[in-house]
Amino acid sequence: MRWLTLYLRSRRVPVALAATAGTVVLMWSLWTAFSETRDVGVPMVILTVLLCVAALTATLAGPDDALERTGSLPWPRRRAAHLLGALAVVVLLLLATLATGARFGPAGLVVRDAAGLLGLTALGATTVGAARSWFLPLAWTLVTLVLSLPETAWAQVLTWQIQAPGNVVAGLTAGLLATAGSLAYAVAGPARQAPAEATL
Amino acid sequence: MSRILGIELRRSAALGAVLTLLVAGAGLLYAAPERWSAGWMPLVMTQREYLVLLWPLALAAGAWQSRREHRSNVAELFVSTARPRAQRMVPTLGAMSIGVVSAYLAVLAVAAPWIFDTAGYLPAAAFAVAAVGGLALVAAVWFGLAVGRLVPSLVTAPALAVAGIGLLMVTPVADGSREWVSLVFSPMYGMGQYTDFQTVYGRVSVAQAIWLTALAATGAVLLASGSWRIRVAALLPAVLGATLAIMVVPRDDKFVVHPIDPVAQEQVCAEGSPRVCVSRIHSGLLSEVTPLAREALAILAKLPDPPTTAHEDTTTYYPDTAPPRQADVVLIPVGVDKSGHLAHKATVLSEMLRMVGANTHGCDAGGDTPVSRAATSWLTGREPVTDDPEEPAELNAEAVTLWRGLQGLPAKEAAARVAAVRRAALDCAELTGLLSRSAR
Repeated sequence: MRWLTLYLRSRRVPVALAATAGTVVLMWSLWTAFSETRDVGVPMVILTVLLCVAALTATLAGPDDALERTGSLPWPRRRAAHLLGALAVVVLLLLATLATGARFGPAGLVVRDAAGLLGLTALGATTVGAARSWFLPLAWTLVTLVLSLPETAWAQVLTWQIQAPGNVVAGLTAGLLATAGSLAYAVAGPARQAPAEATL
Repeated sequence: MSRILGIELRRSAALGAVLTLLVAGAGLLYAAPERWSAGWMPLVMTQREYLVLLWPLALAAGAWQSRREHRSNVAELFVSTARPRAQRMVPTLGAMSIGVVSAYLAVLAVAAPWIFDTAGYLPAAAFAVAAVGGLALVAAVWFGLAVGRLVPSLVTAPALAVAGIGLLMVTPVADGSREWVSLVFSPMYGMGQYTDFQTVYGRVSVAQAIWLTALAATGAVLLASGSWRIRVAALLPAVLGATLAIMVVPRDDKFVVHPIDPVAQEQVCAEGSPRVCVSRIHSGLLSEVTPLAREALAILAKLPDPPTTAHEDTTTYYPDTAPPRQADVVLIPVGVDKSGHLAHKATVLSEMLRMVGANTHGCDAGGDTPVSRAATSWLTGREPVTDDPEEPAELNAEAVTLWRGLQGLPAKEAAARVAAVRRAALDCAELTGLLSRSAR
């Protein structure tokens, strides 16, 4: 228990959790205040998922990863658990809104997008470092929101975030990103940073 | 100073921003070239519309760059140097704005070869639209720098980008059908094109430029200031700029909702006779249109008193305008395909000859289809056929009967009856029966 507390504190998880919850509350209030329908628009849901994932990105690296690695602990398991925990936070926060007046759904879309974007972020944290890993999920999602492509399978791969929850191609793409990201992050851990960038 | 600027260009986020904006901008343009292949004005307007993506990305780039000091743990060290903060910030502001502006221009340069041969008309408004686009990116990146400095967190950049795209998407809905509000505050609003003749009026561009300059100024002051008093004062340019822009922007629907460039609609004529003209914005297609239009005029020459001129059909639906109905003018439907050349080449001739080459814009009734089809078929000498699979079969059967009847007549009498159909169509009169009774 003591280890967990120290770990969470070193990864600045409380701040990140507050930011995530704050994001959801903000988006929820915006929709409640300015819209008459109960079901939140899909672009808003996707942007909320994206922001939640971005808020949790900072926890993917610690203040001194090189030192952390020297601890003779089974890291892969813990890193995987970290990602699963992050996914659970995003999904649970958004699913909790389904019982309220502004519903961030459908659940399938939330789970798929959260998993895919988190995997993409983890992949980024492993390759270019957690500080830069927000960029690809952000850019890809924004492009998806503005681009209109014909309904081919490749287009569905490119715009997987906005496809209907039951879409197989989009589901596979998100699954692939989630698997690749969590495997890479669990095995390799966050990318080594220059000492000057140690503080996020 | 220029040495520091050079270092800053290499070491800041400017390079990454150039690359991102270039790839995103050019990728979006080439994902749908038919949206801008018609000319320079459509190109710069479409590029402005894609600010929906580039503008939030520029905000994020600024915010990310501004976190550098925080990330490198040098804030205290820099505070201890005896130099004003503003002096240290100028190269950053310069490098980032050079980056985004050159990316914006590079996207134009990447798109230009696609339409270089076919686009002729380059109005001054096109330069204004592109300049405001570049200015919008500068304002975004400077404002992003300021926000990134005030909130130096990892989430700032993505959150700012999401807020930016949210603002751009929500403004048109939230303006309560006062479109001029959106026009001032959203650099992408009103850039979707209903017609190739669409434009952005100078005063609108001026208002947008005022607001964006004010926003950039606020960003720069926020970034360079050290005290809360100056930071609060930095809101002044934004408020002033917003007020001034709202005062300058025209509110008439003619300028805001359906801005049409009359110069782009003017007819430009090919050399030689008969006269064939297309609108100025399509003047690059004149050599492709001319043979088809002359063929149509040659076919119509079988009539007594035939039309002698072909003009482009410059009809627009928003606003609802159409060229006047003239007896001696045949209208050419001109569309532009995605490579910038004449679209639907195969149907231009038949479209011109529909209604025996009469301009029926503004007529209530659609005209009697069998009569006009039979009359046109007599001109071309080909049996009437339908191009609409949903049409009832008896319509075309009736046209064939009428056409056979025309062919049985002496050529002079048939020509007179077909000419009567054309005259009636021009007058929006009833066509039924005109082919079955004598023209006199």
